[in-house]
Parts: sequence; structure tokens; C-alpha cells
Amino acid sequence: MKSPNSIASDANPINGLMPVDAVADLIRAGATLSLAGRKAALDRLPAGAWIAGTSPYFMTAEGGRVVDDDVLFVTDLGSIGPVSFATYDANELDRISGDAPDSGVALAVIPSGSICHSEFAKNAASYPMAFLRPTVGWISGYDLSQDGECAWAYDGQVATAYNDRVAVAHITLPEGTNPIIEIVNIFSADGGDVIRFEETGFTPGTCLVNGERRVFSDYIVERGREGGDLPLVGDFGGARVNASIKNVDVNARTVELYAPVFPGVDYSFAAPVADYAADFREALADHPFDGAVWSCNCILNFLFGQLEGVAIGGVAGPVTFGEVAYQLLNQTMVVIRKD
Amino acid sequence: MSIPAQGSPVWSRLASGGLSRLQTSHLGTQMLIKRLELSPAPPAAKATEIYNYFVKWERSLANEVAQLNRL
Repeated sequence: MKSPNSIASDANPINGLMPVDAVADLIRAGATLSLAGRKAALDRLPAGAWIAGTSPYFMTAEGGRVVDDDVLFVTDLGSIGPVSFATYDANELDRISGDAPDSGVALAVIPSGSICHSEFAKNAASYPMAFLRPTVGWISGYDLSQDGECAWAYDGQVATAYNDRVAVAHITLPEGTNPIIEIVNIFSADGGDVIRFEETGFTPGTCLVNGERRVFSDYIVERGREGGDLPLVGDFGGARVNASIKNVDVNARTVELYAPVFPGVDYSFAAPVADYAADFREALADHPFDGAVWSCNCILNFLFGQLEGVAIGGVAGPVTFGEVAYQLLNQTMVVIRKD
Repeated sequence: MSIPAQGSPVWSRLASGGLSRLQTSHLGTQMLIKRLELSPAPPAAKATEIYNYFVKWERSLANEVAQLNRL
């Protein structure tokens, strides 16, 4: 059954860009929404039943777009099911899944660079309800061409932006309906060195390469991967989970990653990708999108793949500074479907 | 095929390493396998978690449920 707060028809659930004024009208009419856009646009919205995060980057059916502050990306959560909203600080992150409905998902927006971002990244898989009440969502970002910007998550109930809290929509799915959470990762291990880490973290100083301890930054430079276009690919029970390289300081011999690495996980560098868009099109061509309700893709795919103006297929959604499907992901497309 | 009862030895076998032999492309199950592999929790607690997981997602895990008695 569709929520009474849905503004979508069954045939055309809203999941795309809309003018800010039209979004404000939807909110005033009682629609239940997930939103994304620039802060200047989100700050114009009235209080209501919505959450949001900042990003000017989007994938649409026509291709990747960088938007101004006159439009927002809108997903009609009411077409999925009844929704309740909450925000959590860094000490309450286990409640994102803990407070979620037994039948449904938690859709979370986490500000990039916040303590919530790092704590969730390190601990999400260990939250008690992580795999019984799954969390999906995204890391909000900002326009990389503008100095001094930061990422925000919005609690629409009070029309307030936070850079230190997670905004969550707890969505209840109709009885007998399960969420299907899928990822599209165009990267795979290169089949060479096996890399392990001895501590969880975003800034590993050393690693074990085929069992031999190495300074991680030295190893990255030796492999010619300091440009960051290819992530580490971790083997999580057969799932390929990326940790992308944010920065390598050759002189200081330090490395910063966009996602933490974990002890006990086999990592490899990804094999080179010649054409991101073509690989996404190929991966998505055979992908079932029946019942798809939400999606996001990574800013690194958008930038390294030069996806602005390039269509790749799949479901439209925000381009993000990290993706969430049970735990933090990098350089990955996430899709939620109802079965 | 239905889920074995909670008292079945299947769950303790899975908790003691059998889960790593499960063939699955289901994302949540793959990540759960890694979480349990890295977890210091006692096998009995892991067995309960695995049982609850399969009960919750039984309808989405037909291929995985079919393997349970062989692992």
C-alpha cells in the first residue's frame, strides 16, 4: 500500500530534478521527500516531512549534471511506504539501524568529513541490527570548485542543517515486501599483490604486501597509484568493497583514504578501467531495475569517469562523497529495490 | 526448502566456519560473512545471529537456504 503522503503515481514515482519552488510546494502539501542539492537551495525550503544532503552533482537519465541553486533532486519516499525521521550524533549511530522498522530500511545522509562519517565508516558493520534492519544512504558533499564549502545533512522537520549529525528517514515497506540492496562496482582486484592492514583506519602508515611489511605511501608510489584513480578493492565475503585514495604525501610518507581499511580483509589495487561510462553501461545493461526506488553514485566515478553530460543508464540519483549499503562504500553505485 | 529449527546443529556449524563456504552473491549475506569472520563473539552468539538473519531474509535467500545442510 502506498503511503498517504505520496505525491507519485504508481507508474511514475518521482525521482529526479525539480525547481526549488515546486519542491517547496510539495513539502507544504505534505509530501514525504528525500532531497539533495546545493545548500543555498535547501535553505529556502519550509519545514516538513523531508531529509536532505548537500551535493551539486547528479546522475540523470540524460547524463551526469552539475546543478545550480535553482533545482533540487527529489525522491518521493511516500511512494515507498510510511516514513519517520530522526537525527543522530556520533555517539548514537547504532540507532540508525536500531530504530529502523522491522520491515524496511534506514535511509541515512551523513555529512562528509564529520565525526559521524568516520565513526560510521569504522563501526557500521558491527552495529547489532546492521544486517537485520539495513542502512542505505550517502555521504553528502559540496562543490569541489568552491573554496571553503562543507557538507551538510538536513532535518526537514525543523528545516535545519547539521554538519555533525546524521539525518535519517526510517522507511517501512509494505508487509511481505523486502528491500533489495545492490551495488554496481566496476572495479575488480588486479590479481596481483595481496595487501593487508593491521589496524582499522583512514590513514594507514604501513601495510603487509604479500606478508611483507611496507610503508604504505612508498608502496602506493611504487605502484604508480598516487593519483587516486584506482581504489583498493577489499574482499568482504565475496563482495568487492572499495577504499579510495584521497591523498598521498610523498614527503611526509602519509596516506589518506576516503574509507577505512580493516584488519583481516584481503585488499588489492583495482585493475585499470579504460572507460568508466562504458563499463557502467555494460554492468547496468543486464541489471534488473524493476522496483528501483533510490540510487546514488560516487563523485570519484563522476570525476575520473568524466560523466558530466554522459548517460550510463540505471537509476537517477545524487553523486556522493561516499555511499552506504550496510556499511560505507567508495566508488560504487548503490541501488535500492523493492522485491 | 525451509529454515532448520533454531536448535539444529546447522547453525553452530555455520558459526564455526561453515558460513565461509556459502556460495552467495547476496550483498548483505556477503558482508555478514565477513563481519562474523572478524567478530570475537562466541560461536553460540554467532549461531543465534546467523539463525535470526536467515529467518528474516528467508524469502530473498532461496539459493543460500538450499545450501545450509551441506555446509
